[in-house]
Amino acid sequence: MSRISPDFVPQLLAGMVVNFQIAAIALLIGLAVGGLLTLAKLAGGVRGAVARTLIGLMRAAPTFVVMFFLLNIIPSDATLFGIPVAPSGIMTVALSLVPYAAAYVADNGGEALRQLRDGSPLGALLFVPNVTRAFFVLVMSSSAGAAIGVPEGIAVILREAELMPTLGDKMVLFAIGILCFGITLQAGFALMRLLQRHLGRLALRAR
Amino acid sequence: MMFLQRILFVVLASLVAFTTLPARAETPDAALAKLLDEAKAAASVPGACAQPGVDRLVRIFCDGKIRVGVREYYPLFGTREGSVRSGYDVDVARGLAKHLGVEPVFTRVNAASRIPLLADDKIDLTIATMGHNAQRDGQVRFIRPHYYQSETIIVGPKGLTIRDWPDVASRTICVTIGNGSNAQIVSHNARLMLFDEAGVLPDRLRDETCTLAAQDDSFFDYYFTDPAFAGSYDRKFGFAQLPWGMAVALSGSDRLARALDLTSQIFHRDGIFLDIAKENRIGLGFLQRQRAVWNRPECNTDTGASNPACVLPPLSSVLEPTPIAAQVAAIEGWIQKHTGIAVQLPMFKTMPAWSLFKAGIINSLVLVAGALVATLLFALILGALQSSRSFLLRWPARAFTVILQSSPVVLTLVISAAVALALFPYSSAVAIGAAIVALGLMNGANAGQAIAEAMHTLRTERGGPPAPITELFGRAVSRSATQIVSFLVNAAKGTPIASFIGAPELLSALTDITSFASGRASTYSLLLVFYVCVVIVVVWLCDKLRVWLERRQMVTA
Repeated sequence: MSRISPDFVPQLLAGMVVNFQIAAIALLIGLAVGGLLTLAKLAGGVRGAVARTLIGLMRAAPTFVVMFFLLNIIPSDATLFGIPVAPSGIMTVALSLVPYAAAYVADNGGEALRQLRDGSPLGALLFVPNVTRAFFVLVMSSSAGAAIGVPEGIAVILREAELMPTLGDKMVLFAIGILCFGITLQAGFALMRLLQRHLGRLALRAR
Repeated sequence: MMFLQRILFVVLASLVAFTTLPARAETPDAALAKLLDEAKAAASVPGACAQPGVDRLVRIFCDGKIRVGVREYYPLFGTREGSVRSGYDVDVARGLAKHLGVEPVFTRVNAASRIPLLADDKIDLTIATMGHNAQRDGQVRFIRPHYYQSETIIVGPKGLTIRDWPDVASRTICVTIGNGSNAQIVSHNARLMLFDEAGVLPDRLRDETCTLAAQDDSFFDYYFTDPAFAGSYDRKFGFAQLPWGMAVALSGSDRLARALDLTSQIFHRDGIFLDIAKENRIGLGFLQRQRAVWNRPECNTDTGASNPACVLPPLSSVLEPTPIAAQVAAIEGWIQKHTGIAVQLPMFKTMPAWSLFKAGIINSLVLVAGALVATLLFALILGALQSSRSFLLRWPARAFTVILQSSPVVLTLVISAAVALALFPYSSAVAIGAAIVALGLMNGANAGQAIAEAMHTLRTERGGPPAPITELFGRAVSRSATQIVSFLVNAAKGTPIASFIGAPELLSALTDITSFASGRASTYSLLLVFYVCVVIVVVWLCDKLRVWLERRQMVTA
């Protein structure tokens, strides 16, 4: 433990903020794209078929590959109407998570609307904990940013681990990382369960 | 008679010896003086300077100046601040001009313009950090001996022990796209993090995005003049030596090239290059070795510049083409002509890229199959343990599942690789195996949890006397079919991340290919299509499995 630099934990916490930032961006864009796809899917016809195909492709696209795809096809000096549009590292990781987020929102959004039409607001409200669950999956997946140099939590752990001479020292470091992410994640799930119960009570009271 | 025969033999032997002995070689100084005198004499002939096609050396004496192309922003080699030029290349140009007795006139060049400006007769000589490779021999006439040599060096924190190639296996090295030495790094099982510009590498080292960076030593020389940088980082080792050449145009420059060859010899022999390098604080190793070479009697002659024992060969940078390279190029041309889209398929055009590509596809498929099997296996094992009535089996399995669920995917993968590398020496198989175990554990733990939950519901539903465990477990597996399938698909989708720990799957292979070839956009598009297709096939197969499991549940219910 004495070999771990004193500023490791503050750096790790700062890196985890980046993980949350990436997940938030991905989820917001995913909600917008997924919402549109849900509406298109429910509209049926050609629009519905196109939406279903797109959702299927998004579901099948591996995040890590999408990240490298975006990184390599968008030039670093790309502009749109004279405005620089080349995404930063954080934005690239967030965008790579959008296909997953959008497909997830489209699947769960469609189900929530169906529940609502069937007269089950409680069933529809499951959309909220489901989206929260997706948010935590996005937080964990944002660790892929370490591969392209984004200074998120895992990147901080890995660069500290590079300087560790033994496997034992590295394992201590990894355990700290799992603990930090684990506490956050489990606390998030606990909050999600509380929210779900609260919303359920509200929905039953409204009946 | 015998006496006459002996005399005849001695005479003949002397004649033979005389004709086979080399003519006494001239010194380079004498040869240069003679050549310059001839050129000066030619330049002084009335009307000679106006003659078309006059040799550039003669024209230099006609004008009293030599036009030299140099860089304006290559720290320590060619920089310009206002009207002040400095750097090793600039000072070499000044030294040559002084030796010829003319004035240097500088023109700004860069990597793209230094050869065309020579061909267009806008400059007489380029001294602009240009590596001498066999490909460029067809474009310019390189001056021999070479005036400098660079090599790719690995730079990293001082506290990190890296001595040679075995120490970098499975580590990530930051490099610039297109650097010729990337292929060599890849061949030693290091992972690459690619950047467009070398200028960002020192910053990425400082902000710790990169632990190691590889780039020309001439590039890092400048940064090592910064005490803070030199205090934190050092050069680990060097490779891929590349001689740098001054160059003149292929035509009309015979005498000029010869004069510069001889001058270059003299500058090495007398340590003039070395002195200029010292003044500019650049690496001296190559120049010190060259000084020793050009002081050797067999090299210190007027023919030394053409003696293979004295001069360095150019770098052979041409990659072996595949048998279908021409057809692939034709297809690329056809697509561009008919669609306007510049598709490039480097993986089909050179043998190293083709080998990496083939291995990448095979490894990816092995990885996907392995991850699916491992996920299913760990799901069954962890599901069974978590369903156990013994808390000694149940709670450790649950704790293990919570830990796996709390660990980001990259971290789990890195831990798996660290453990694997502690047990076995690094190899592709070890990296793939570690990735399979990590992906299997991550997804299997979740699927196992679903099986355990299904088992719990079955026990609650049944009540009464306990049912045979095997039968109940089978029904729990069937009941959790959707979850199992979902995590199998996740495992297949997660396989590209194995490239992070150096598994040579397709993403890793294509990253390596694009690091030394062109066509990034089409290469990564192809990669995306490949993985989407693989996942779609896995989804289809898993759907069949789910239907089978659900039918089985209905039959056994």
